[in-house]
Amino acid sequence: MFAVRSLMSSRETAAMLALTARRVLPWNRIAGEVEERGGALALLEQLDREAQTRLFDVDDQQLTLDELEDLVHAYEAEGIGLVTVLDDAYPVNLRTVHDRPPLLFVRGALAEDDQRSVAVVGTRSASDRGLRQARSVACDLAAAGYVVVSGLAAGIDTAAHTATLEAGGRTVTVIGTGLRVAFPAENAPLQERLGREAAVLSQFWPAQGPRKWTFPQRNAVMSGFARATVVVEASRTSGARMQARLALEHGRPVFLLRSLLEHDWAQAYERRPGVYVVEEGAEVVDHLERLYAEQLTLAP
Amino acid sequence: MTRLTVTEASATYEAAMRNVRPAGPGVCARCHTFIDPSYAVCLTCSRQANTLDVVTPITYSEHLGQLHTALRNYKDGPVSVQRYAMVRLAAILWRFVATHEPCIARAAGVQRFDVVTSVPSGAPARDEERRNLRTIVGWCEPLGDRFSRVLRSTGSAVGRSYDEHRYVVTDRLDGRSVLLIDDTWASGGHAQSAGHALRRAGANAVALIAIGRHVQPGWRITEDETSGERLAALPRRFDWATCCVH
Repeated sequence: MFAVRSLMSSRETAAMLALTARRVLPWNRIAGEVEERGGALALLEQLDREAQTRLFDVDDQQLTLDELEDLVHAYEAEGIGLVTVLDDAYPVNLRTVHDRPPLLFVRGALAEDDQRSVAVVGTRSASDRGLRQARSVACDLAAAGYVVVSGLAAGIDTAAHTATLEAGGRTVTVIGTGLRVAFPAENAPLQERLGREAAVLSQFWPAQGPRKWTFPQRNAVMSGFARATVVVEASRTSGARMQARLALEHGRPVFLLRSLLEHDWAQAYERRPGVYVVEEGAEVVDHLERLYAEQLTLAP
Repeated sequence: MTRLTVTEASATYEAAMRNVRPAGPGVCARCHTFIDPSYAVCLTCSRQANTLDVVTPITYSEHLGQLHTALRNYKDGPVSVQRYAMVRLAAILWRFVATHEPCIARAAGVQRFDVVTSVPSGAPARDEERRNLRTIVGWCEPLGDRFSRVLRSTGSAVGRSYDEHRYVVTDRLDGRSVLLIDDTWASGGHAQSAGHALRRAGANAVALIAIGRHVQPGWRITEDETSGERLAALPRRFDWATCCVH
């Protein structure tokens, strides 16, 4: 029984890979369409009557659906797990955003606690103050039992990850490349460590290098994975600012460190509903306990 | 007990909310969907009975967009996240009704609504167990004390279309005005069927509030315009001070 189930699910996973490779639908609409159709294979066959014999372009190779199924097993042998929206293990928070990716490549292991994730993001070229703030926010979140999520970039991201590890907390990364790629290269050991001790997630093919378009797509997934996004230090052009916008689109709270208000963009954001200006991580924790309270009720 | 203000909670999905256009050229006079300006009502409304005095969706809801996702998750999503969406959707309904019930009553030709009820969810057994819509209507202070579960599914109707026998009303409603609540208006088959049952029970006015007017962005309104393009052209900032019958 188990063998049949896993056989069926690897076929579905292969079909999900095929849908991703075919690019007939935008990446952020595949999941919704698959759920409506009740399966990836069903959607693939509806979109492409020759799906069973077609060749799909993956990592410079041309693979049939059967070979994609072998590829799923090959990835697993390499330590790369695949989780699709059809799997129970798909992250709960991510499941409830409109642009959830159809599948995630995972090194390490997802945990039930990941529902208590908070993204801490900011600039690559961080100031000393910014790095101090990132570390402090990460420690406060970890102390309150939150999982700290970030993007493994230089600067704020690295500070958030390492401070959480030092505090004994769980920290997960959503990267803007495939899992076989480390960007920046100097963070390869940290990526390796997170893959061993927690989880490294990517919505991209394992060999995908860093591109201009991969980072914004990654920010959408990081926002969706987390209950909230905390922006520590970020300029107008920063990906962190983009993630703040995406989080609001997801209906998730955004926390801005008060020192950000020196920027025009942050002053404009401060007035938007769902945005909270805070001094420190403890305030983020207070807001989250309120916004995500299990017995939450409404008051006029 | 932790409390969230209606203003704060109702803003959660504001980035995905779009004010519904008043009836007029290019907007269905009944359900407010986008249509070819040479018609007054949409094809679906033109083909089914109209039992409702007024239909007021709060916001357009794009197919597979964030609001559509929330409108699904509050009843069918992972149990641990249902509450998050329920509180926010209840707040949207509360804030809208607190401001716009007088507009809706005026459009329905009554002073105010005597009874508030909700459209049942699916077949009888399913409706017993899926109380999420009834719960959020009950949370809305401007509505809660008038709420009464007067509609029941008969289980006889199939699909989503208009069916006079889809629902029955448990009490007589002679001379009473009813405010009917639903989460989503897609084709209106369920809401119109509910309106029929309420009128058969004697209701003198029936108005509907739907949280989301579902929009298929790929739908071709005319040869050179889609619903998605109309949606994209709407103001991006949601204005709580207005409604489609304001």
